[in-house]
Amino acid sequence: MPEGQTCCGQPAWSAGNRPLAVDLAKKAIAELEGYDHVVIPSGSCADQIRNVYPQLLADDPHWAPRARALAGRSHELTSFLVDVARMESAAPEFAGSVTYHDSCKGLRGLGIKRQPRELLAKVRGLSLEEMADCEECCGFGGAFSVKFGAVSTQIVDRKCEAIAAVGADAVVGGDLGCLINIEGRLRRRGDETTRVLHIAEVLAGGDDC
Amino acid sequence: MTAAGRSHAMHFHARAGEKVRNAVLQRALQKAKPLFVGKRAKGIASLAEDGLDFEMLRSTGKNIRNRNLADLDVWLDIFEERATATGAEVLWARDGAEVSRLVVDIARRHGVSKAVKSKSMLSEEAQLNEALAAAGIRPVETDLGEYIVQLAGETPSHIIAPAVHKTIGEVEALFAKEHGRPPETRTSADIPAMAQEARAVLREHFLSAEMGISGANFLIAETGSAALVTNEGNGRMVTTLPKVHVVITGIEKIVPTLEDFATLMRLLPRSATGQAISNYVSLLTGTKRDGDHDGPEKTVFILVDNGRANLLGSDYQDMLRCIRCGACMNHCPVYFSLGGHAYGWVYPGPMGSVLTPLFTGIENALDLPHASTGCNQCGAVCPVAIPLPTLMHRLREEQNERGLRPWSERLALKTWAWLAGKPVLYRWFARRVARYLHWLADGSGRIRIFGLAPEWTAGRDLPVSSGKTFHELYSARKKA
Repeated sequence: MPEGQTCCGQPAWSAGNRPLAVDLAKKAIAELEGYDHVVIPSGSCADQIRNVYPQLLADDPHWAPRARALAGRSHELTSFLVDVARMESAAPEFAGSVTYHDSCKGLRGLGIKRQPRELLAKVRGLSLEEMADCEECCGFGGAFSVKFGAVSTQIVDRKCEAIAAVGADAVVGGDLGCLINIEGRLRRRGDETTRVLHIAEVLAGGDDC
Repeated sequence: MTAAGRSHAMHFHARAGEKVRNAVLQRALQKAKPLFVGKRAKGIASLAEDGLDFEMLRSTGKNIRNRNLADLDVWLDIFEERATATGAEVLWARDGAEVSRLVVDIARRHGVSKAVKSKSMLSEEAQLNEALAAAGIRPVETDLGEYIVQLAGETPSHIIAPAVHKTIGEVEALFAKEHGRPPETRTSADIPAMAQEARAVLREHFLSAEMGISGANFLIAETGSAALVTNEGNGRMVTTLPKVHVVITGIEKIVPTLEDFATLMRLLPRSATGQAISNYVSLLTGTKRDGDHDGPEKTVFILVDNGRANLLGSDYQDMLRCIRCGACMNHCPVYFSLGGHAYGWVYPGPMGSVLTPLFTGIENALDLPHASTGCNQCGAVCPVAIPLPTLMHRLREEQNERGLRPWSERLALKTWAWLAGKPVLYRWFARRVARYLHWLADGSGRIRIFGLAPEWTAGRDLPVSSGKTFHELYSARKKA
């Protein structure tokens, strides 16, 4: 991991502040372009680098090719493991059932759907139980959840109901924003038992799982 | 009044709060959502029976609409020429006020005291009902949903299901009061009976009105016709029974040929209601001819700009492809948390979040482009592939470029971006934040009330980490 790495700049981009987003994009490109692959454990950051950077810098003759090159070498974690590294071996054990939340940027921005499921299928002891409307937004939306908290709560409530209905031991996802939002609302609703895990935590096993 | 003057879009945030707390509204919305989504999904799946694929078809639909817009002036000229040749009159309106003026003029010239209306969102843009009433002409909405909304003194909350925000109980109470009968207990099984009740009232209006006012889903240039896509049959009554028929529609609704129309019709009803085809598809051309049993003696097309021409050649031109199916709002998590009225003007949901600022002024609808989680569920279902989140994003950018964002937000972003450009400082700050949040959580792993993000903790806890940043954990592991 590069020492100087900070943020991909998505918050500035989604707020509509192009100059700030451009600055941070250039910084990230300069830091990351020396690597063969860039692996990103977040659908929305991956979407920023893969889809937004090239269009953000499209008119800059110096940066546009670098943005495009980096975009091609950057992968969301589960996509990297399945499509690039072609991970074959079984992951550690997880005793229990999980349900998978497809994050919006991962699913609709990067087309990630099958990869996390293939990986979860390799985890011994794990059973995947799909919840209703697993492709529906959880209501996080970055600044949206802070600007329109009441609306965001209404949306994540529906997600929590779907999770409760499927009754899995854990809800798993690939985007920290969604997971913080979902966990925050589950706990506020009084659900102290459903675990909320990033797919990396499940695949890595370890203390947390 | 100008469009901006009667828009409530600036109060989106406050209205959103009210709508979230309205339990009756929430019940109505939660009932409607799976119906909309489920019906469309079935409709789209049924394309396979015709050997069609949605992505392929919508790319065709998108291309057709792009071609229409590329030569809009030409197609409009051809339409005017052909429609005039069939005996219709074609008028042009720059804005809503001009629409109202033209319609009132026509009504006066033909001695109209009552006008029956088939659903037209453009007449909402023009606030036509108010203008007609002020001129002593009674407008009667005849689409069942519009009829309900008009009785209740409200505006549509959805572009194809105007009364979707109402429960059966509310409609029953309204009918009992307005139709002068004792209230009854109603369930969804009684909906046909309630529709019948409205129908009996409306039938009298159809027979006595001197003028019919409708919108048009499309204008067909090669035949000079208006195409009307409806499910209730009221559209046929409105457009054929009264002696005068006025069609009010936006200039962007034009398609060159019947063949283009046929292609778009594979997309429109399926995207809207999931139907392979709507119950009624009318192609209205000219006036009543000798030997015709029905039809208007006078047909007038009012083709309206009201902000549309400004979008041609702009960053927002894609929005003009819109065929008003409602799929974007039907799949919007924000829309289904609030209903349409929260959006404050005529068009709700994602398409409204784009159109309202463009038609009423960006500075008059600052919240709307931000009223989106960016989930792109709208863009994914749009039958003409309008990149709605991209257009909302462009509006956010324009707000920034024009200095319309609050200073606190600009300062916060600037400070954060400055920090993100200074890795050492950024990491130091991130460590402080992680420690601080950990301390606030006091061993519980979560924060229940957080002054810096009150809207967040009003509805949910804020889960926090172990108090160490990823950088710290990563370096510790590398050393070990």
